[in-house]
Amino acid sequence: MNQNTIIRFDQVTHQFDQTVVLDEVSFEIERGKFYTLLGPSGCGKTTILRLIAGFMEPAAGSIYFNGEKINHLPANKRQVNTVFQDYALFPHLNVFENVAFGLKIKKLKKSDITSKVKEALKFVNLEGYETRQISEMSGGQRQRVAIARAIVNEPEVILLDEPLSALDLKLRTEMQYELRELQQRLGITFIFVTHDQEEALAMSDEIFVLDKGVIQQSGTPMDIYDEPINRFVADFIGESNIAAGKMIADFNVSFAGKEFECVDRGLQRDEPVEVVIRPEDLTITEESAGKLQVKVDSQLFRGVHFEICCVDEFDNEWLVHSTKKAEVGEQIGLTFEPEAIHVMRFNESEEDFDKRLEGYSETGYGN
Amino acid sequence: METRSRNLFLIPYAFWIALFVIAPVMLVLFFSFRGLDGGFTLSNWTHFFTSTYFQLTLSSFWYAFLITLFALLISYPTALILTKTKHKQLWLLLIIVPSWINILLKVYAFLGIFGTYGPVNALLETMGIGTQQILFTDFSFVFVSVYIFIPFMILPIFNALDKLNPTLVDASRDLGASSWETFRQVIFPLTASGVKAGCQLVFIPSLSLFMITRLIAGNQVITLGTAIEQHFLVTQDWGMGSTIAVFLIAVMAVIMFLTGDRKRGLANEKNV
Repeated sequence: MNQNTIIRFDQVTHQFDQTVVLDEVSFEIERGKFYTLLGPSGCGKTTILRLIAGFMEPAAGSIYFNGEKINHLPANKRQVNTVFQDYALFPHLNVFENVAFGLKIKKLKKSDITSKVKEALKFVNLEGYETRQISEMSGGQRQRVAIARAIVNEPEVILLDEPLSALDLKLRTEMQYELRELQQRLGITFIFVTHDQEEALAMSDEIFVLDKGVIQQSGTPMDIYDEPINRFVADFIGESNIAAGKMIADFNVSFAGKEFECVDRGLQRDEPVEVVIRPEDLTITEESAGKLQVKVDSQLFRGVHFEICCVDEFDNEWLVHSTKKAEVGEQIGLTFEPEAIHVMRFNESEEDFDKRLEGYSETGYGN
Repeated sequence: METRSRNLFLIPYAFWIALFVIAPVMLVLFFSFRGLDGGFTLSNWTHFFTSTYFQLTLSSFWYAFLITLFALLISYPTALILTKTKHKQLWLLLIIVPSWINILLKVYAFLGIFGTYGPVNALLETMGIGTQQILFTDFSFVFVSVYIFIPFMILPIFNALDKLNPTLVDASRDLGASSWETFRQVIFPLTASGVKAGCQLVFIPSLSLFMITRLIAGNQVITLGTAIEQHFLVTQDWGMGSTIAVFLIAVMAVIMFLTGDRKRGLANEKNV
């Protein structure tokens, strides 16, 4: 076990009325990093958070905190604090009293409490709001109070349960920057739960992508975006074109009725695979110059780019992000680099997948 | 046009209030200033504040306080457990159902239960303690009153607890508070409105109980309610009875005012 590991899950299973919410989940969380648990609702991400916070006990498996098993340790004895989705600020207490709550429980001296609360509120840019009632605060301000209430206790880990979901888009983007900056200034571990992939990509050091109670893939945002392990991850993170294909030989894959050069190797000959190409990796050209010939089906203006939906002769859909406009109904060509093709095997374990990709970079074929 | 039709709908209500609330109160007030000879007098009032009636008032308040206290001590934990059960609405219904039965019937039932040859004494007998005089004591009076009033205490407390956001309890635990600290600092303060409503619903009617005092306490306990009943029905001194009634109404109004939710702002915060 790594010296830096602060939380470790060892084959943790959790059930809820016969339904398996977490299925033998194992992972390690390192000190001082920003982690994101990403997945659709019901994937088990909030359950992991509640297990770490101590609001639930796992049905099987072990949870370690600083090397000690904490399966049955009650929430109030744990060195973690949570920022809740609805903030869970105490409505009968004002801002100061809310932030001071944890310190008062610890029976700190009054003067210490005052100075610590002041400092925490300064940290989240809420100086001078001490005597405000919670009902007088806006959504963004409540969010900051909730964060201040967590950090004032100087926990080793802060858990954030979709804290940005109630905010409007502009404020949400702003808070993403602030949270990221806050984490780096404090240097403590953040575990952030969200279903918003953009949020996850923007803020995290490391992302765990969850589905159906299983960690599908873990890695840095770039790893996960560029090299999704399976259809679920490719589809969930960003937009992707996924086509059924066949590995003809090393560096040669066939899909959409043609063979293409690629950078993947080490697969079985004629193995059925799935091929991912990100919409921003596709370039529109003359029909004759394209590697793929498609017909423009529909087009949306997204501001930054046009989102063009095309269909090839095998009824595969190809989504293209382009700054150039296309005409609906027009026949066009699409080109892409061999590196843009990402090949996914069916039912490949994360371990095998990582090994295969590491093999590529050793021979200088990083993609 | 709209306001006029709305006023039209108010007529039955206004009529009802005038006939059955305002008029009787006025009558009682009028009678309290009337002597036995029918003339205007203040003697009822001077009598009330100088004689044994004052003692009576104190003991009334004392019993009402005891009834409210015991009802609260039983109801709050019950409501707390109820909100945590799986079929809480069903359990609540089971507690509420007895309050639909006529109070007189329930009081008569206790006459049988607590009587000399009743089941309680039979039990005491077999335990070797021997038959006790249970009926016609302070104990039986408070016991039966608490039993009668418990549903009225549980209901508002249950509602307050049920509305309490469970994440607040999680948050408190998360911040290091033990179960007891969480109860004291989060759960109780946030359900205090329910406790207050429950205490009002129990304390105020307890002040004017007369049936239970008659039947269960056998006039060993005399409250203001009993006194009013005696004056109107036995001694026929309507003036004195009215004086006590007016005093009770005044006290109730004061209690309602003092315990009412005067801080409107606080009510809004609870919806956060």
